[in-house]
Amino acid sequence: MKLEIKNASFAYKNGRTLYENVNFSVESGEMISILGPNGAGKTTLLRATMGLLNWKSGGSLLDGDNIADMPASKLWSKIAYVPQAHNRGGSYTVLQSVLLGMTNQIGLFSTPKEKDIRFAEETLDRLHILHLKDRLCNEISGGELQMTMIARSLVSHAGILILDEPESNLDFKNQMIVLDTLTKLSSEGIGVLFNTHYPEHALRRSTKAILIDNGKVQFGATPSIITEKNIESAFGVKAYIGQFETEHNMIANVIPVGLTKDEEKTEANEEDSDVLATLSIICSKFEESERINAILHEFNDILFGRMGMPHRKRNLYLISVNLDGSKERIKMLAHQLSVLPDVSCKVTYAKEEES
Amino acid sequence: MMTTKNGSWKIRYILLLIALPVLALLFSLCVGRYVVSVPDVFRSILSRFNENIEVSKLAYITIWNVRLPRILLAFVVGSALSCAGLLFQSIFRNPLATPDTLGVAGGSSFGAVLSILLGFSLIPLQLVSFGFGCLAVFLTILAAKGKNQSMSTIILSGIIMGSLFSALVSLVKFTADQEQQLPSITYWLMGSLQSATYSSLLIGLIPIAVSIIILFLLRWRLNLLMLSEEESCSSGVNMPRLRMVAILCATVATASSISMCGQVGWVGLIVPHMCRMVFGNDHRHLIPACVSFGGTFLIIVDTLARSISAAELPISILTAIIGAPFFIFLMRRKGGWNL
Repeated sequence: MKLEIKNASFAYKNGRTLYENVNFSVESGEMISILGPNGAGKTTLLRATMGLLNWKSGGSLLDGDNIADMPASKLWSKIAYVPQAHNRGGSYTVLQSVLLGMTNQIGLFSTPKEKDIRFAEETLDRLHILHLKDRLCNEISGGELQMTMIARSLVSHAGILILDEPESNLDFKNQMIVLDTLTKLSSEGIGVLFNTHYPEHALRRSTKAILIDNGKVQFGATPSIITEKNIESAFGVKAYIGQFETEHNMIANVIPVGLTKDEEKTEANEEDSDVLATLSIICSKFEESERINAILHEFNDILFGRMGMPHRKRNLYLISVNLDGSKERIKMLAHQLSVLPDVSCKVTYAKEEES
Repeated sequence: MMTTKNGSWKIRYILLLIALPVLALLFSLCVGRYVVSVPDVFRSILSRFNENIEVSKLAYITIWNVRLPRILLAFVVGSALSCAGLLFQSIFRNPLATPDTLGVAGGSSFGAVLSILLGFSLIPLQLVSFGFGCLAVFLTILAAKGKNQSMSTIILSGIIMGSLFSALVSLVKFTADQEQQLPSITYWLMGSLQSATYSSLLIGLIPIAVSIIILFLLRWRLNLLMLSEEESCSSGVNMPRLRMVAILCATVATASSISMCGQVGWVGLIVPHMCRMVFGNDHRHLIPACVSFGGTFLIIVDTLARSISAAELPISILTAIIGAPFFIFLMRRKGGWNL
């Protein structure tokens, strides 16, 4: 399944254009984040993408068909929306609330049957919140409510999930639970598009990113979109993107250091010369190695030698590859691998030669 | 709360909903200025179908011609107003919404007092009143339609339409003959079930029954009304259409009730809240519960209205006297309102 936004532009009712020339796409198994400062129109972008607001020109295509011409019941059986969770769902129980997500599949004059209830319970179990099923939605925590809403969007069998700031207003642990769930769903083949306020979440989780910068909507591989320069331009904040080393991975970290003053224009990026590096990968699920091979294949141009070794006793797969290419491209490869749920990977760069 | 209830819960739920109105009916048939004993009630009822059973003429007439149509009217009106109140609360996600939020009561009242002024008999009065009730809501929706249509625009235009029609009611009262028409207008506005006959009941029952059956069939979907706009649209259901069907059914039921017996306040506010408190917010359980509880409530209140004193009390006075303290009790126990 592929949701594609083509040459779209959006204008408010008063005629003010918010953004023009918007192009991006979400495919099954991708996880795409939208970043932008307050008021840049992140929620508007989501709403227009789903047809809840009308594009001024251009349109949203779902598998090639314009969603504006699609009957609502067909559209919403393919994509599902999880709005920001302020509404407490009219004090329904968690199970009732999830069942409401299936209404489209339940006949006009019918009520949920045994099999519908069973499916809703299986979905709750899949998200590890089955124990909440009889609790009222206005009595559970914010994180639990967010998971309930995700469960509600899943029972419609949608192939693409669209979420509006799913991890806002949640504590560390619940942010982790929600983001891990989204990562898991996308690795199971669901396309995920979400808004976020956290550049780090975009960097660590999403394969591709969208940045709304003063009416310009940029779309591309996450490391090429979320750069120090773009953050400074879009948010007006001087920030450093660093690497934080854990036992498993190099984790990208965004540290804001101060507001940008107008006179301090960012100077152009220095020329990116080719470097040598080795990349070591440990895949803790043997079955995942297929995916890794597919990603490595895309980077054939910078690869010059690889070694892969299964460790069947522990169901592990160890890979080591040598790379020669621009730092940008190497970073991109490392990023694509590090967003996979069962992969540890690190890059070691060779010391640069003095010229 | 209710989705996982087992079979025995369901049986108890159905028994309760049937038992309440049946007991209220029996009670109401016995009680009044002329007391009929329980065996006599059964004998009168059966004597209609079996001529061998003997019963006093007075008991027979009291039961069949006076009390039964009135009790049935109370049940029908109580059910209709409760369901309409329930729906308006859900549609507007507002615990204070009542059946006449959209101005239906103002319209129906105007139709009725106009008919009294013009000297219409009961059945034409009922039809005119029903027509004006629906017209008022139609005008409300028409006034609210436009670029920025939202739930609060509709509520606001309902308030405007309601006060417009109540001004028209005042105008009719002002021009009415003070000896005969004015007292009967005032009495009608306070609400009374006294005029119940089988034929007027039948005319009012048909639209009410149709509306409630439609709402009952849609009972699962009605739950979507209480979600936020964004959440419900993502279900793929055509929400504007569902909302319009619900508004139409609730309006028809209310207009039809008011046309039969004038304005009966409070029922449409208290009974839905009472049902929500007992059965949760699932319309699958709420619609049957409102039919049963609302009908029972109005049967009991009307029985009191006609038996407390020698002169019959207007029913709205009693619903308010019973309703207000009960409402305060519920509100305090629950610790504030939300739906």
